Amino acid sequence: MIATFAPVARRLAPHALVLAILLFIAAFSFLQPAFLKPENLIGILRQVSLIGIMAVCMTFVIMTGGVDLSVGPVLAISGLAAFFTLEAGWPLPIGIAAGIAVGVAVGLANGFLIAAFGLPPIIVTLAMLSIVRGTALIAGGPDLHAIRGHDSYTFIGAGSLWGIPMPIFLFGAVAAAVIFLQFATPLGVRVAAIGDNERAARLSGHRVWATKLVIYALSSAGAAFAGIIQTTQVHTAAATYGEFGTELDVIAAVVLGGTSLSGGHGSAARTVLGVLFLGVINSGMNILNVPIDSQLIAKGVLIAAALAAAERAKH
Amino acid sequence: MRAWLGNAALVGFFLATLALFGLLAPNFATASNFEDLMSGFSFVAILAMGQAFPILLKGIDLSIGATLALAGMIAFDLSLIAHWPGYFILPVVLAAATLAGIVNGLLIVYLRLQPFIATLASLAAYRGLVYLISGRQLVPSLSTTPISDSWILGLDTDFDVGSALGISAFVKLPWVPLSFFVMLLLLAALWALLDRTKFGRDVYAVGGNAEAARLAGIPVGRRVIACYGVCGFCAGVAALTLIARLTTATEALGVGTELTAIAAAVIGGVSLSGGVGGVFGPAIGAFLLGAVLLGLTLLGISQYVQQILTGAILLIAVGSDRALAVRRRNRLAANLAPPAPAGGHG
Amino acid sequence: MADPALEARGLTKRYGDFVALNNVDFRLQRGEVRALIGSNGAGKSTLIKILTGAVAPTAGVMRLNGEAAPFGDPGEMIRRGVGCIYQHSNLAPAMTVLDNIFLGRQPTRGFGLVDRRRQRREATALLAHYGVDLDLDAAAGALPTVKQKEVEIMKALALDASVLLMDEPTGWLAATDVRRLHDTIRQLKSRGVGVVYISHMLDEIFSVCDTMTILRDGVVVAESDVAAVTRTDVVRLMVGERLAKESGEAAAAARRPRGDGRVRLAVRDFTRRGVFQNISFDLHAGEILCITGLIGSKRTELLRALFGADPHDEGRVEIDDRLIRPRSPASAMAEGLGLVPEDRHRDGLMLGMSVAENLVMTTLARFVRVGLLDRGAVRAAAAKSIDALGVQPRDGRRATRLLSGGNQQKVLVGKWLNRRPEVLILDEPTVGVDVGAKAEIYAILRAERDRGTAVLVVSSDLEEVMTIADRIGVMASGRLTAIHDATDVTLSRLVAEIGAEP
Repeated sequence: MIATFAPVARRLAPHALVLAILLFIAAFSFLQPAFLKPENLIGILRQVSLIGIMAVCMTFVIMTGGVDLSVGPVLAISGLAAFFTLEAGWPLPIGIAAGIAVGVAVGLANGFLIAAFGLPPIIVTLAMLSIVRGTALIAGGPDLHAIRGHDSYTFIGAGSLWGIPMPIFLFGAVAAAVIFLQFATPLGVRVAAIGDNERAARLSGHRVWATKLVIYALSSAGAAFAGIIQTTQVHTAAATYGEFGTELDVIAAVVLGGTSLSGGHGSAARTVLGVLFLGVINSGMNILNVPIDSQLIAKGVLIAAALAAAERAKH
Repeated sequence: MRAWLGNAALVGFFLATLALFGLLAPNFATASNFEDLMSGFSFVAILAMGQAFPILLKGIDLSIGATLALAGMIAFDLSLIAHWPGYFILPVVLAAATLAGIVNGLLIVYLRLQPFIATLASLAAYRGLVYLISGRQLVPSLSTTPISDSWILGLDTDFDVGSALGISAFVKLPWVPLSFFVMLLLLAALWALLDRTKFGRDVYAVGGNAEAARLAGIPVGRRVIACYGVCGFCAGVAALTLIARLTTATEALGVGTELTAIAAAVIGGVSLSGGVGGVFGPAIGAFLLGAVLLGLTLLGISQYVQQILTGAILLIAVGSDRALAVRRRNRLAANLAPPAPAGGHG
Repeated sequence: MADPALEARGLTKRYGDFVALNNVDFRLQRGEVRALIGSNGAGKSTLIKILTGAVAPTAGVMRLNGEAAPFGDPGEMIRRGVGCIYQHSNLAPAMTVLDNIFLGRQPTRGFGLVDRRRQRREATALLAHYGVDLDLDAAAGALPTVKQKEVEIMKALALDASVLLMDEPTGWLAATDVRRLHDTIRQLKSRGVGVVYISHMLDEIFSVCDTMTILRDGVVVAESDVAAVTRTDVVRLMVGERLAKESGEAAAAARRPRGDGRVRLAVRDFTRRGVFQNISFDLHAGEILCITGLIGSKRTELLRALFGADPHDEGRVEIDDRLIRPRSPASAMAEGLGLVPEDRHRDGLMLGMSVAENLVMTTLARFVRVGLLDRGAVRAAAAKSIDALGVQPRDGRRATRLLSGGNQQKVLVGKWLNRRPEVLILDEPTVGVDVGAKAEIYAILRAERDRGTAVLVVSSDLEEVMTIADRIGVMASGRLTAIHDATDVTLSRLVAEIGAEP
């Protein structure tokens, strides 16, 4: 019996995540038909869009065996930077550019410390988490800053087109852009090469440090963009946004998408699936009124189980 | 040998930091400030000592904050809902925390999960478990009731060491909280475990060269599981000292402490590349962090700047660890020189 | 007669399609020193790994002192008295020498406490017994390599082993140390310890071993008393009659010392302090220069420094009379150098990536059009290389990890050929590759040479050196001690020069 199933299982293994998502959708809608309502499905997408943008942008970092713990504070400081720029009377594009630029600067600092001195990414970005949060708090204080009178700005996060909220379009656009980067530019090959075998990449003449600078900057840029969207969604900017745990959710989404923390295989497209998987689970449990405690436990168990299954499939 | 030199340098740096703040901040060199330091950072030191074990194995434990909260909530429930006596609660809480650590080890060894991921997943699961068993939600009326069990609160006793030694007439020594003595006791026990037992030697071997350890017949998997168990145990001890001080437990207890503990361990010279470090360094590292934070507060420097400085200290610590590793390697390269033709080697 | 110390029957080990060891019988008596001989990839290391329990064989049985022994359990093998000195370091670098000697089996008093006094006493006695001088409190990683080797030897001897396996124990040692090691082996032998001795150095084998087992392509091709054979016999058995004759003749006919006469790569006084000193040589366009020497003679380090992967301190490097400064692999490549590293798993290939991606790894920039990667061109180029190299299967999308060792090696060589470097450097180009693939790789290298590329090969496989070299250089202890035209030098003279002290 098992023998006859084995080839089927092997065929299905690459699509396990899609199957799992469909399975959970089916289960949730069976238990609670309201799950399938368009509003709910759109709600799921809207909810995951910020984490999704960050996760897609962090995929390359994790593919190289690194990690970026600093995304939470970057999200906060970029929102503040955009807010202050707009408050100072600058036009919208400059405001957005300022927010993104702050993020990119943090990412470049991460990448520089990691690539030039060979420091472990987990510690560098942990230190940066603390540094950026402190800086954000100095700049913005503990208070919420209300955003008023910037309609086109708030449209980014709070507006919608054809009934679909803007953040979903933005998530889609960022995901498409990163997937394009991975498949249509040499960056994808260079990142995979570092993750698979960094020594060999260097010996093949790749400028590994340059690639690392780019990918850490991309990761932070994603967090910065998410930060801008968040400020516009809630009409406030605050130094405390992107609270502790954000980075762990982002990493979980990437890893669920099949990108290994030990480097090597990974794909931005599959990260999108990981994000959707987490979104479906969260929403389904909410709609079924599963209490927050069981949700957390279930999430932990699901992450461990999914990854253990993926590990098993490899051997 | 070298480990002691490293520790001596760290102690020197710690003392220099104390001296610096003593000069700069008017109220730094006071008994009450040191009481704050000892009572506020003993539990961080305990967590950091525990965290040293996974890091010695090139691993990491992100779940200790959640384990701490879990242990705290179990104590809360057993004391306020089940009305167990404290002498039963203490061992049960420690056993539960150790078990939480062992589960991490099992996930890593048997499901072959990366330590980072395994403990990330268990972080979520343990934190969920905290909410699930939270006595504050099961019995809302208890949420304002403090824990009054004398065994647990006894952990928050302070000792007037100065009077005991009969020198309080000459200098005003800080009262030493029991949690500090617990920390010292644990430090001694864990140091002996790492430095004097076969288990400890095995841990260094696994962290330094896992393949060599396997070929030497060391049961690598069991050692890994045990190390995560030790880390969980330490989180349990830290939880007890913390709830004794707070006289309650909350669902959010210990959020983010894993990162502080990792920082203290790294500052204390435990190398993330495995096999290098001990428990003395992490303890000093925790108090060094504490001294800097308290000192800066006394200097009136905003808490936000302190966060920046904490990050900077961490970067400097890991940067110097890296520089030392590079120097070691260069020295090794020099050692590879062929023996001098005349003298030969020995 | 008593039970043999070790007896294995029908040992077979497969890695995927590759048969590393095929139905091997192996027997070792107490007090016997048995040489295990074979070219690279003949299966020696696999056999050793099975005997130590590091890997489990696909099939076979083993008995130790007459009792059945389990497979794949290194701890149990140590308890049964099987010690091993591995070719690669097996020390925990941050731990002390004392801890390393007793790694995993410290004597304990109650409560798992290490009996440090007894440990030190035993170690001191052991060192005194064998006349070895080591600082027990030094960190193992901080010791010179020779001393690290001594620690490994002491670690194995401290076992009180009844069977001791030595995988190229003298690779790192100078001649005086080799003699001392041999005295130690004779002492062990007189106490009834059985020793398996792996070495490329026939001199050592004839001086210390009683018997020999010769492996070729994973099978035992001969077993004999050392006294009953000559060196020529051994070499012939190692390499195989046909290959030895054919490749010898082919090589002799096709040798082109100094290629077309133009100096392509000129190296002068190239030095990395403490590693290699004053290396000077010319490499001509259209020739293959092989550099050989013992493990630890710093050949790999020399190549890495030439390629800019490691720093160097002094010296000039010129390509076609143009001074170059190798600072990084990228800059060395821009000057026309290419390096095929020794360890294809660690340094060479991205095993998880496809064959096509690996083949364009060094030439990625050529497939970029306005910032975009031309995947179609990548596929076409890869398909062309796969045909030219004869990579099997002919599927560029296949993960490189799934290929056999020989085909992986072809991909590794191919990714450098695609760059068309002016100087192609190869470090041990046929390690762990079967005979057929070896011949194909030799043909590829000859074709590259005939195209006018200057080829520099480092190899410790003397048959390989004699087969493909136009000229042969010898390195010992970080110095280039001699360069010969391949037609003017005999195998036995090379052997003598390689083992000589500088």
